[in-house]
Amino acid sequence: MKESEIYEKMKKAIIEGNKDESERLAKEALEKKMDLLKVIEKGYVQGIQRVGELWEKGEYFLPELIASAECMKGAMNIFEPEIKRAKIKTKFLGKIIIGTVEGDIHDIGKNLVAAMLVANGFEVIDLGADVKLEKFVQKAEEMDADFICLSALLTTTMLGQKRIIEIIKEKSIRDKFKILVGGAPVNQKWADDIGANGYAENAMAAVRVAQALIEKKK
Amino acid sequence: MTKNVKTIKEFKIEFDEKRIGWHIGYKKRSAEIEKSIKKMIKQEKKRLNNLLRPAAIYRILDYEETNKHAVFQNAEKVVLCICSIGSKLEEESARLMKEDEMLRGLVLDALGSEAVEKVAIQSERIIGQEAKKMDLWPSKRFSPGFGKWDIREQQFIFRMLPAQDIGVKLRESFMMVPRKSISFRINLFRDQNMEKKQ
Repeated sequence: MKESEIYEKMKKAIIEGNKDESERLAKEALEKKMDLLKVIEKGYVQGIQRVGELWEKGEYFLPELIASAECMKGAMNIFEPEIKRAKIKTKFLGKIIIGTVEGDIHDIGKNLVAAMLVANGFEVIDLGADVKLEKFVQKAEEMDADFICLSALLTTTMLGQKRIIEIIKEKSIRDKFKILVGGAPVNQKWADDIGANGYAENAMAAVRVAQALIEKKK
Repeated sequence: MTKNVKTIKEFKIEFDEKRIGWHIGYKKRSAEIEKSIKKMIKQEKKRLNNLLRPAAIYRILDYEETNKHAVFQNAEKVVLCICSIGSKLEEESARLMKEDEMLRGLVLDALGSEAVEKVAIQSERIIGQEAKKMDLWPSKRFSPGFGKWDIREQQFIFRMLPAQDIGVKLRESFMMVPRKSISFRINLFRDQNMEKKQ
């Protein structure tokens, strides 16, 4: 089978959310000692990009997005040991620190956003739920992150998003990070009022906002 | 504290596939749930017996026993209620997500959201029947954080009810743990017209 045919199959597996097939093809790529960067770029990434388009057209819904993101993750997990061993330099679109702010233990929405960002080529460090505000800032500095993504599901905890922006302003590092906010009570107006760089109302929108901000930075 | 406190532990929980679909992201009316996802919903439903611990606790207060918040105005009595499905389901959903079974975790969470809603609906019905026996007219149920009833009023509900009896706690952010819990009030009126005004 030609390499281009394998790439097509990988793309198809991601689009269809077929985890078994996507992982089988990943193993096959390793056995055939294919160029993993090409495999990721021409096969899997093409698939996830198509999934995003189908979602934007209204043909795919959140479960299909997640199924595809799971396939992507499964394949990447298979490649990871070889990528490390061969010291292959994978390209990430940007580094993201994500978490649900202090006082709030909701984390499903945040998990979905994180999964979609990973599937779309971002490096994501997930701090979990109920994360101390200072920890976001400390971790973002330590990891030299591009983004801090803050989730809040309560009107009482969304204030934490505002406070983090204040903290990084006080430390004179506001320009170092792009702040994205999301969560049920959050909207674009809130994001504008607190001076966040972006707001996303769902997982795919978070990917698009992050992609646009990275593009702008270039 | 325990005066007039009642607990309900018997609930019949059935699911409408369309509603579960809505919870997991099929928000458009025309959206058809994909076959493999329908199958996953079925599989997760089968596991619910071990994961759901439905319970409700409620207390009927005379108006004078309330904190006389404006939302209780004109009520003869006020019922405060907390419903929950326990913490097992959300623990399992979190475990699945951690193990990269995101979709399965989401489906389970959706079943949990729907289950706790059913518990609230059935509790509301039982409270309504009790109200009728007292010749009182029940309002709809209202939760803190909606309308003029601030989220901070959760504290009042938790002061008046031994929520720990059904395993529910209130965090500083006024969020309940387990997350799949619902708290609400129902005002009981002598006059049927007042109930309609609510």
